[in-house]
Amino acid sequence: MFTDETLETVGAESLWRKSRLLQQESKTCQTAELKTAEVEVQAGHTSENATQTEADEHRTQHFALERESPIHYPGLGEFLHSVEGVVVKELKRNVKSHAFEGFEVNWEDQSETVSCLHALQYSEAQESGLQVTSLSWNTTGSVVACAYGRLDDGDWSTEKSFVCTWNLDRRGLNPKRPDLVIDVPTSVMCLSFHPSKPSLIAGGLYSGEVLVWDTSRTLDPLCARTAMSDETHREPVYQVHWVPGARRGGGFSVLSAGADGRILVWQLDSEGQLTLSDGFALVTQQVPRNIKLSKARGDSLLGVTSLSLCPWDSDMFLVGVEGGLVLKCSFSTHTPAAVSSPSSGLALRAPAQFSFSSHAGPIHAIHCSPFHRNLFLCAGMDGHAHLRSLLQATPLLSLRLSDSYLFSVRWSPTRPLVFAAATGQGSVVIFDLGQGSLRPAATIEQDAGGKPVYCLEFNPKQPHLLAAGNADGTVKIWQLSAELIEQGQREAAQLEQLANEATE
Amino acid sequence: MAEVEETLKRIQSQKGVQGIIVVNAEGIPIKTTLDNSTTVQYAALIHQLVLKARSTVRDMDPQNDLTFLRLRSKKNEIMVAPDKEYFLIVIQNPTD
Repeated sequence: MFTDETLETVGAESLWRKSRLLQQESKTCQTAELKTAEVEVQAGHTSENATQTEADEHRTQHFALERESPIHYPGLGEFLHSVEGVVVKELKRNVKSHAFEGFEVNWEDQSETVSCLHALQYSEAQESGLQVTSLSWNTTGSVVACAYGRLDDGDWSTEKSFVCTWNLDRRGLNPKRPDLVIDVPTSVMCLSFHPSKPSLIAGGLYSGEVLVWDTSRTLDPLCARTAMSDETHREPVYQVHWVPGARRGGGFSVLSAGADGRILVWQLDSEGQLTLSDGFALVTQQVPRNIKLSKARGDSLLGVTSLSLCPWDSDMFLVGVEGGLVLKCSFSTHTPAAVSSPSSGLALRAPAQFSFSSHAGPIHAIHCSPFHRNLFLCAGMDGHAHLRSLLQATPLLSLRLSDSYLFSVRWSPTRPLVFAAATGQGSVVIFDLGQGSLRPAATIEQDAGGKPVYCLEFNPKQPHLLAAGNADGTVKIWQLSAELIEQGQREAAQLEQLANEATE
Repeated sequence: MAEVEETLKRIQSQKGVQGIIVVNAEGIPIKTTLDNSTTVQYAALIHQLVLKARSTVRDMDPQNDLTFLRLRSKKNEIMVAPDKEYFLIVIQNPTD
């Protein structure tokens, strides 16, 4: 009854969906054929040529005439021939003549005595009992700046102090009121004006910082400072100087030397920071031993108390250290200092090349002579000023200028044989080496009640002015008498003779 | 030319002579034994001085004329021998 059956499949076409194939078309396209070609070029023939200038050997100091075809000056020969006889006769007579011996002419009003022109004070500083620690004249010679601080204090002081400037050429000069007062957080130990820009001053502080002020800025004179880091000074900075920078024609850099034995060179950058560009460290064991040192530890650093740059040789400088040693140092030394240098910092170098015989106490002042290459003065706590030559270790002359300490010594800028020293008894002593006596040519009492005179400076542009600052906070400007200023005829030669006595 | 040089050398070898300059009528140095900057300075200043000295002498007496000029200072002595076309300037330090 039931059978298997298979039926055909049934399908239904979709009404709405059509096969896509019917609507697709395919197309192709192709670009036209690209035409390419290759070409090569090569120089078949080469030649070289070069030019160079040669050093001109014909250039001598003669004024216009070193050429192969001489310019013939008509009549020159005859002129010289006619004139020669007369001139030679006069020259010979001149040498033998006694006509002008002892003949002196006074062109200017000769002041016979030394007088005090101004006594400059700043009342706030005096009230706090601050002392004048350092003085500087600016490059035009019209402004004197003084730094207040303390030199007799052994403690770490956080007392505020000042830097004051007075312009002496101004009409309304009021000695009791400085033209500019700059507030400084700690004592300022040293000051130095820029050698060519009359408004920049660099100062070193008790805390080890070095600051640069620009006095032409009214709002905030502080123009650059050192950051406190491992590489900066950690002890009082005793000397600050401007040295010509390494770039030719470039500006000056600041050199600072402190009690931590480091001498650092800073460059001013535009953001008001002083960046370290070079540094030296004085380590006891690296000091050349002509003279036996005391039993200081070999790796201890020697604190620098005074420094002087040599005006004749820009590579050399002289340093006086705490133990009484005077060292000759060089800027271009290569030996590294035996100090653990900070990780990211500048490697310090050991500058000392030669050591002179020592004084019996810290050296407070060294000054190179502006008239003779080899001579310099140094003065220290033993009251003696030594005249030394760079060529030998022992001093040429040792002068006892005072019974107490000597704080500063400076050569006169006009007379080669004269120098001035500031004593601990409150007087300024001016000594003339040409007089041949052991007594000073002049003694100026600063009248400070017996308090020491800490610093003195000659005015570079007006040589009759001498500024001296003392412990009671006043700066006195002295006008020197004419005999102390005007150069005699043979002074330079006498100085030369004195220097040559050394080697005998 | 050699004669000129010889003459200058003879003058230069006198005792104490520091330098010689020969200047022409316009004040331009034509021969010198000093360095450039000093020469130029001396030539300009002394030329003016000689002209002034000459006019002084002639103003006082028109028949007179300047024959020699000596300028003595603290440190040295300057001698000038003038002529129509040239001046000879010699600087001597007599105490040397």
